[in-house]
Amino acid sequence: MLELIEVHTYYGNIHALKGVSMTVAEGEIVTVIGSNGAGKSTMLRTIHGILRPKKGTILLEGEALEKLPSHKIVERGISQSPEGRMIFPRMTVQENLEMGAYTRKDKAGIAQDFEWVFKLFPRLKERINQKGGTLSGGEQQMLAIGRAMMAHPRIMLLDEPSMGLSPILVGQIFETIVELNKQGTTILLVEQNARMALSIAHRGYVLQTGEIILHDTSAKLKEDPMVQKSYLGAN
Amino acid sequence: MKAEIKLALTMGLLGGVVVFLFGGWSVTVLGILIGVFMGLSIGGRVNKKDGPRKLALQSLSTAGIAAVVFIAVSLFQNYVVAPAGGQFPSELYIVIPANLIGGLGMILFTALTAALHGLPDRQERLGKLILMVVLVIAFPFIDRITGLHWSGQIIFALIFVILGLGLNIVVGFAGLLDFGYAAFFAIGAYTTGILSSPQHHIFMNFWLVIWIALGMAALWGLILGTPTLRLRGDYLAIVTLGCGEMMPIIFRNLTNVTIKEPLTCWIIPGIMRLFNSSAATKCITIIDNLDLTAGEKGINPIGRPYLPFIGEFQSNNPIPWYFLIILLILLSVFLIRRLRDGRLGRAWMACREDQDAAVQMGIDPVHTKLTAFALGAAFSGFAGAFYAAYIRGIFPSVFEFSTSIIVLCIVVLGGMGNINGVILGGIIIMGADRLFLPALKDLLKGLMDHTILPALASNHTLQAVVAQNANPILYRYLLFGLTLVIMMALRPEGIIPSAQIRAELHADEETSAVEKAVKN
Repeated sequence: MLELIEVHTYYGNIHALKGVSMTVAEGEIVTVIGSNGAGKSTMLRTIHGILRPKKGTILLEGEALEKLPSHKIVERGISQSPEGRMIFPRMTVQENLEMGAYTRKDKAGIAQDFEWVFKLFPRLKERINQKGGTLSGGEQQMLAIGRAMMAHPRIMLLDEPSMGLSPILVGQIFETIVELNKQGTTILLVEQNARMALSIAHRGYVLQTGEIILHDTSAKLKEDPMVQKSYLGAN
Repeated sequence: MKAEIKLALTMGLLGGVVVFLFGGWSVTVLGILIGVFMGLSIGGRVNKKDGPRKLALQSLSTAGIAAVVFIAVSLFQNYVVAPAGGQFPSELYIVIPANLIGGLGMILFTALTAALHGLPDRQERLGKLILMVVLVIAFPFIDRITGLHWSGQIIFALIFVILGLGLNIVVGFAGLLDFGYAAFFAIGAYTTGILSSPQHHIFMNFWLVIWIALGMAALWGLILGTPTLRLRGDYLAIVTLGCGEMMPIIFRNLTNVTIKEPLTCWIIPGIMRLFNSSAATKCITIIDNLDLTAGEKGINPIGRPYLPFIGEFQSNNPIPWYFLIILLILLSVFLIRRLRDGRLGRAWMACREDQDAAVQMGIDPVHTKLTAFALGAAFSGFAGAFYAAYIRGIFPSVFEFSTSIIVLCIVVLGGMGNINGVILGGIIIMGADRLFLPALKDLLKGLMDHTILPALASNHTLQAVVAQNANPILYRYLLFGLTLVIMMALRPEGIIPSAQIRAELHADEETSAVEKAVKN
């Protein structure tokens, strides 16, 4: 469904992605694990058109994305729950969710997706008229994912949904991600919390200083001694 | 109770200060205006269930105190200040009815406005609307009957209200700091000047020109916005500052415009010269030595609007002008509300809050900011066309940096993003500039000449210094600057803030209030 072929991205002179290739098939949860500064967010931002790759191709169902502006990529069916959540603090929960559906014009579909979000996150319905900035960290993360759902994406990019949340909340968020995937949304999940990510993903990639050094099914990655040592904290 | 006395004293003195400056019949007009304002403030914190009758009765004590203070100041002005300034006090046949109507009007309108808050929501809104409409329509006639002659200056204030509304789209809705807004005001005004004056012997109808001015201002918004809006924040502010500085200079110097057709004038002769041919070609000149803007001396007289039954609008009768500008404001407010509540408005606000997040929602930031810039500019085209026709002449010096700053002041005072606030801000700032300061100047001059300077006669140096500096008009930019500083420091959300902005700017206080509540 989504394919990256030899993608190189730079921040000025810094070579952040050094020829990343990967695929995500329809209906999968694919995770990319890696430490700070490995280039995980850079990869998602490149897919989403916020950064431009210097070389390489990004294909969605065979269509090249790397030349399209961000807003066109959202229309093609990719939405993102960004790192640090980036909700609109002065807008209410409802207005935040409406912003997620910005590119859509099908009123009935939008109303349906409101229900979809509220079913998955009943908490957001309780807080519907509250300002985004006054929500707790966990609620903000729910809002960020809900907002990404409102675009009714074919593939959703999740950037560190566990960041800054308590273990219980992380568990809840990951359960909803699995639920979301069962309902038919393909998911590309970027995480530092490798243990959680590998527990829900079908396949995983390990990104280190801008390069994919390993990829396999989650089960096999969990057994890999290098992964165990560097990312799962085993001795 | 304490709060009510405080309100009564503030309002009474506030009205008193204005009456202090103008004297005469101003006490009547101010009495009614302050009554409405006081009724609104009281109504904002009452128990709706009390019903209109009880609310009206409750407000009477506050209104009464305010009226007494107000009339006391008015009488003090008439019998102490006016003679000290070398003027005769008003005659009794003016003083008695003016103060009586003013005082009673204040009480009556306070009670009436307060009572509206006791009605069901829909009736309350309707009642307030009717009250507003009546006041707005009655104002110029009362102004004429009482001989105050404020309308001419109020019209200036209303022109700046439109400018404020336009800039509010750019600064308030889209969050783009624009220091060069007067440039678009200039384009609207010069479009009108060029298309309806003897300067080029073009005399287009005002009702057509005003739309062309709107279109031209929007077009220049696009032209100036396209290269600059890729910048963010501080950089954008500096670039707009530059554009705003350029515009009056350009209009000052467009006095000798020549446009030659490049092919026949340069390219073909150039090729000929390469081949050493001496065959002469005829150079086609499209425009030759055209004085487009008449430089420093400006364009005048500019054509005026004409309506059946009313005829051509005249300088000595402000009433048609007043209603025309009110109509333009209503149209602008209607359009701006529609924009704000639509898809585009949401995109503006998303970009203002967090441009990166907005991009991820599928918003095209350049397109969004450009429409804000162009639409904001369009409304200044309205203001420019009206201004040119009203003044009958336009000069480059009107459109300098200070004008941009005054409009920015209006938006800041009113509260960024708040339409009603900006209207009030425009009236306050321009009212202060056009009515208050000149009146203060006259008052001071009278007091100086008749009381203060004679008292200082023994010390010539001091007398000279005081005489030179006692002109408040010298300090007008100081006052605008102070307004910006004070508002930003104490009330960044403006005088009547929109709930959304207040939530953001006082987020810390709100959380701490919640924390306190939790602890208790």
